[in-house]
Amino acid sequence: MKDKIFSVLQRVGRSFMLPIAVLPVAGLLLGLGSSFTNETTLATYHLLGIMGPGTFIFNILTIMSQCGNVIFANLPLIFAVGVAIGMAKKEKAVAALASMIAFFIMHSAISGMIQIYGGADAFMSGATGSLMGMTTFQMGAFGGIIVGLGVAALHNKFYKIELPAALAFFQGTRFVPIISTVVFTFVGILMFYVWQPVQGGINALGTLVQSSGVIGTFFYGMIKRLLIPFGLHHVFYLPFWQTAIGGTMQVAGQEIVGAQNIFFAQLADPATTHFSTLATRFFTGEFIIYIFGLPGAALAMHRCARPEKKKEVYGLLFSASLTSIMTGITEPIEFSFLFVAPLLFAINAVLAGLAYAVAQALNIAVGLTFSGGFIDLFLFGILQGNSKTSWLLILPVGAVYFAVYYFIFSFLIKKLNLKTPGRETDSEETKLYTRADYEKKKNTSSTEKSNAADALSAQIVAGLGGKDNISDVDCCATRLRITVYNGDTVQDAVLKATGAAGVVHKGTGIQIIYGPKVTVIKSNLEDYLAQSHPEPVQTSPAAAPTAGSGISDSNPAADQETIVCAPLSGKIMKLSEIGDGVFSEGMLGKGFAIEPSEGKVVAPFDCKVETVFDTKHAINLSSGNVDLMIHIGIDTVRLNGKGYDIKVQAGDVLKKGDLIGSVDLKVIKDAGFRTITPVIVANTEDFQTIEILKDGSAAMGEEILKVK
Amino acid sequence: MKEFQYTIQDESGVHARPAGLMVRKAQSFQSDASVSFNGKKADMKRLFAIMGLNIKKGDQISVQVTGADEDAAAKELEDFLKNNL
Repeated sequence: MKDKIFSVLQRVGRSFMLPIAVLPVAGLLLGLGSSFTNETTLATYHLLGIMGPGTFIFNILTIMSQCGNVIFANLPLIFAVGVAIGMAKKEKAVAALASMIAFFIMHSAISGMIQIYGGADAFMSGATGSLMGMTTFQMGAFGGIIVGLGVAALHNKFYKIELPAALAFFQGTRFVPIISTVVFTFVGILMFYVWQPVQGGINALGTLVQSSGVIGTFFYGMIKRLLIPFGLHHVFYLPFWQTAIGGTMQVAGQEIVGAQNIFFAQLADPATTHFSTLATRFFTGEFIIYIFGLPGAALAMHRCARPEKKKEVYGLLFSASLTSIMTGITEPIEFSFLFVAPLLFAINAVLAGLAYAVAQALNIAVGLTFSGGFIDLFLFGILQGNSKTSWLLILPVGAVYFAVYYFIFSFLIKKLNLKTPGRETDSEETKLYTRADYEKKKNTSSTEKSNAADALSAQIVAGLGGKDNISDVDCCATRLRITVYNGDTVQDAVLKATGAAGVVHKGTGIQIIYGPKVTVIKSNLEDYLAQSHPEPVQTSPAAAPTAGSGISDSNPAADQETIVCAPLSGKIMKLSEIGDGVFSEGMLGKGFAIEPSEGKVVAPFDCKVETVFDTKHAINLSSGNVDLMIHIGIDTVRLNGKGYDIKVQAGDVLKKGDLIGSVDLKVIKDAGFRTITPVIVANTEDFQTIEILKDGSAAMGEEILKVK
Repeated sequence: MKEFQYTIQDESGVHARPAGLMVRKAQSFQSDASVSFNGKKADMKRLFAIMGLNIKKGDQISVQVTGADEDAAAKELEDFLKNNL
């Protein structure tokens, strides 16, 4: 149950990443645009002449500002569509369209209800607002998220629905926007009643956090940090950034809700003299930790590494620090110590909470779009000027933080002998790491790059317990997020050896942390999974029997048609012509038989080899839904493998026509056995019809049997 | 749940034809039936699962039967094994 919740929350968390990914560019446009169209700024830097109102540069910057602003203004819709895409299992494009429609429908329904109950003036101030021309409740990103989640749920349930013949045009994916429209009409009406008390509650909670001042800020910062290992921090911080929990404020005559929205409204408002820490308290502390604190921790880890490891560790920690400083993506550093020394991570969380609180106490007010790196500090601190942001104070506070992180980390690492990077005993895990790394390097230099990518993908797949175990692959900014069918066959050490900074494994939910390069790894992995590959690292003895029953059990796929081709050349016969009393009576299943004219055996369809019987005379193949047995000769179990040369083994993946092996027909005949070869659908009970398409002689590869 | 052990006597082990007959026998009962051998467990109603266990002469298998008609099923399956394997 707990694992299931984790798995769902993980999906929700990663579905936020697509809409969040647009924020840095929107912030860049709005940040640059509004900074340099602000007449006060221009006057301060004596730039009115070349880029004041009316100049070409001013016009361009105005457009940039508007284009950045529109994204923040319509973030709820962007979330609705983005979350639907993230949560839909298949046919994601349909879910996106349905979600946009449902978003309009829900807000239109609310708008209608507001009109019926006396219009906007009848509600408390700040409750209603204008959204795409509709007067509706201010639901912020939350309104978009519930639409996205709701539509995705409807979509996953109905996208394959079948309707009566008269309505067949509307079945399948076309039904999704229809049902979403109907459902969200009612959701809108319901929301009208639900949202009013919720607004009261959120405002009260917001007031509580707001009124608890720096202590509230401390807890916000600490909790956010502690949630990072679970990948759940996006769920936590978003309400503060985007809803009334993060505060409500009058800016330029408008009621603005959510900390990030308030900051950007103030940014766009020329009347702002100093940004409000009531909004930036949820942001500014990050600059102190990401640009100063964590690099201090990285320096401590480097200094504490064993001398012979220092060089190796330097590369890891330096690039991780640079990523944190510039972009504010901290996972590469944090995951380098989180798993090996959770105590350090707990201390990191407390220090982070303090940083947020200190920034608020000192009235430092720098907002951000995505994360607290130098890019955001430059745009929203330095460019805005010290008088509006007090950003200069970040420098002394940051210097203190750098020292505090450095000394606490150094002291504890040495005192408790914590196994931070470069201090590990040479366990199997480190050996695995270096060997895999070495092989990866070798591959890159000697063969094409795509082969190296495939080799990495193959390793990841092996670590995840094989291709068949992977349910679903996605990623966020730094992690590969995977859901598997069976969490027990996942080998964390193998995954770690693929160059990951860390592995989080909870039941069927797996997160592998690679850093920003993860999107490329994900694409390569998806390409790799789309091709069919033999699974070299797969451990066939353990996997074969479970896979055999697993595949056929989970996927009867009765409506799918499978064609079985002739695995040998020869004369096609009915089973009843065998006359052995077992195969001939269909006791093992329906199928056909071949009296072979030559001994070469090939795969009769695309399949996986489930079992090759020890005596080689019986080979079991699975197409995914058809279990097919090729039994070469009658009673030939007694030959004990004599005359059989089988080239495949359990676990191999074959394409139609691939060589399975060859048999010496003369050896079989000379030993006194018949060479007639039954080809049997072993799971006959899973199908409606099994039909022989051809009789007489057939060449290897000709279509013989239709299974449906 | 009913459970019994059986040691395979047939020279060729559990090969295709007796395995197929065993699966048909198991399918004739309502109860779920499974075979455990060598630390692995296979659905007795699926030919591929049974053959995947690769059971040889002299191997001791354990059969578990669970369901409404488990008493009759366990008895008949044991008789089947004695007569055929």
